[in-house]
Amino acid sequence: MSILGGGIFKGMAVTLRNFVGSYFYKERLITNDYDWRPEDKLPQSIGEYPKEEGEQLRDTTTVNHYSRNFPMLLHDGGEPMDTVRCVACQICERECPPQCIYIEKSEDKTERSDNKAQFYPAKFDIDVSVCMSCQICVEVCPFDAIVMNSQFELSTPDRFGGLLVRRDDLLKSNDYYHKIHPQEAATRDQKMVADKAAKEAKKKAAAEKAKAAAEVKAKAAAEAKAKEEGE
Amino acid sequence: MSFQLIIDILIATVPLLVIFPSLFAFTTWMERKALARIQNRIGPNKIGVPCTRVSLFGLGQPAADGIKMIFKEDIVPRGADKLFHLLAPILALIPAMLILCFLPLEFPWGKFMSGKVQAFMLDSAVIFFFAITGLNTLAIFMAGWASRNKYSLLGGMRAVAQMVSYEIPLVLSAVIVVMMVGSLNAKEIADAQSGFNWFVFSPWGLAAFIVFFIAALAETNRSPFDLPEAESEIIAGYFTEYSGFKFALFFLGEYIAMFAISGLAVTLFLGAGDGPFVDAAPWMPAMWFIAKIFGLIAVMIWLRGTLPRLRVDQLMAFAWKFLLPLSIFNILLAGLSYFALDARVANTTDDVIHYVNSGNPFAGVPELGTNEALMGAMIYRGMAGEQNPMAAKKWFLKAALKGHPASRTLVAWWLGIWVLSLVALYVMAKGLNNLSRSTTKPREYLYAE
Repeated sequence: MSILGGGIFKGMAVTLRNFVGSYFYKERLITNDYDWRPEDKLPQSIGEYPKEEGEQLRDTTTVNHYSRNFPMLLHDGGEPMDTVRCVACQICERECPPQCIYIEKSEDKTERSDNKAQFYPAKFDIDVSVCMSCQICVEVCPFDAIVMNSQFELSTPDRFGGLLVRRDDLLKSNDYYHKIHPQEAATRDQKMVADKAAKEAKKKAAAEKAKAAAEVKAKAAAEAKAKEEGE
Repeated sequence: MSFQLIIDILIATVPLLVIFPSLFAFTTWMERKALARIQNRIGPNKIGVPCTRVSLFGLGQPAADGIKMIFKEDIVPRGADKLFHLLAPILALIPAMLILCFLPLEFPWGKFMSGKVQAFMLDSAVIFFFAITGLNTLAIFMAGWASRNKYSLLGGMRAVAQMVSYEIPLVLSAVIVVMMVGSLNAKEIADAQSGFNWFVFSPWGLAAFIVFFIAALAETNRSPFDLPEAESEIIAGYFTEYSGFKFALFFLGEYIAMFAISGLAVTLFLGAGDGPFVDAAPWMPAMWFIAKIFGLIAVMIWLRGTLPRLRVDQLMAFAWKFLLPLSIFNILLAGLSYFALDARVANTTDDVIHYVNSGNPFAGVPELGTNEALMGAMIYRGMAGEQNPMAAKKWFLKAALKGHPASRTLVAWWLGIWVLSLVALYVMAKGLNNLSRSTTKPREYLYAE
């Protein structure tokens, strides 16, 4: 038998521990203080936003690395459009609940890192004012090409063009992804390597299976032939 | 109307009109800060002294909020009943402010006035308190109805159901104190508790205080009973269509009601202005009173940070199946215990007086503690100027500690009654809790893994 009202006191002890602890342990407070900047240093539009590499790093790392609020397109370094992972399959465009992604598939194909010719997004626009940060595009992407950014200074004086983020502004390198979400990026990379290995193993297995099947078929055919001849 | 009368009215009411709204501003800051810290956030910390970078832990936030509220657009829905939409916030604030007058909060004005000033001394203050608190329900329902919005109406209806239900345990738990003191006058109730004779220090008083506090939470729509304004269910309940200054008025009214009902709890159970060093300065009783109110409000905020919201059926079951029977049982128990204890004190008094009358206690070897026992007996008989006969108990306790036999028997009785009452109350509460458990189980989730 438990004490009457004991659960309430237990709960109150938990909140009291959090209340007092937040004054003594800095790591409890997940909010970091936001730096006020003079008006002329503020970004005028989202595309313009992190121009200097140092500033970009500071503003996206001041938030907690669990923060996710807007998608970005990943590339594997170098010239963005040469290593972009997106193949313009348009799954995210179809799955997006508020329909804020607009993709135009390219006419031609370009060579990618795995020596395969792929389509690329000729246009890839996301409307910030419509996006609800649900991360469904990230979950449905089969190429791990779209992930969440934690950039938060999204305000702009131009409420039409300024809120539409273009492809070139969405492109971010994998290194940047590793900086802002280290854990998630590491697991995603591992998963990609594992997927690739699994795919290859599967291919190999399928080839072997096909070979075995062909052998069996040949054998069966030979037997049938022998039988026929016997008759 | 003479000039002196106007001055008197101003002196009595202006402190209430100045002190409590400023405390309200401070409380909103305190609440936001405390809730933030409970959730490991920082809370308001930017706005402090205007035009400087001095932030003072965000203490300027209430002022900024107030300015924002005043300059916001006042939106009245097209289908709303304009008159009642306007009247509701005013009617929510006025009763709350009015209740403050009945609190035995005395301000010493030193040079200006000869004595202490209480805003309004009324012989039936407790009854008036509950009568006027009841008006709040009307204002809230008015707001819900006049807004012509389904969420507002739902909120208003929930508020009416909740506040009417919880009013009963609230009144019944206050009855205990009225029984003990034999008066409805807030000042007399406060005086009866002077010298740490607080009602919360007795088993039935403690139970009544807990019931009162829970019912007060429901009465002021505080979490975990904030169903009328449940954000996750009905937007903001009856607040939904209010903005700008009307919203601020509602907000103010709600907090003032919190102060008022905490003030009543302090008056009834926590000894009003009584406390350590109460005689050190004329300001001490008022200070203690406000400090105790703040203590209760801090507990309310703490509970808000801790407890989730109840379901409607749980809320109703809790009021009618748990609090109401418990408070009725508590009244019976308090009556019986008080009667038994009173009879015992009378008995002891008779013994002491008889002993004093029969022989000369000061000749020969006086029994230990006779003087204290005699003092107690005199107080009980009303010969020592004390109004409250139960103040005699303290002297009998002193006598018992010195070894007076009759007083020792009394103290043994006293302790026995207290322990028995506590056990009886606990068993009753436990049994009621098991009985009143809601049988409605949450539905089985079809797609849960």
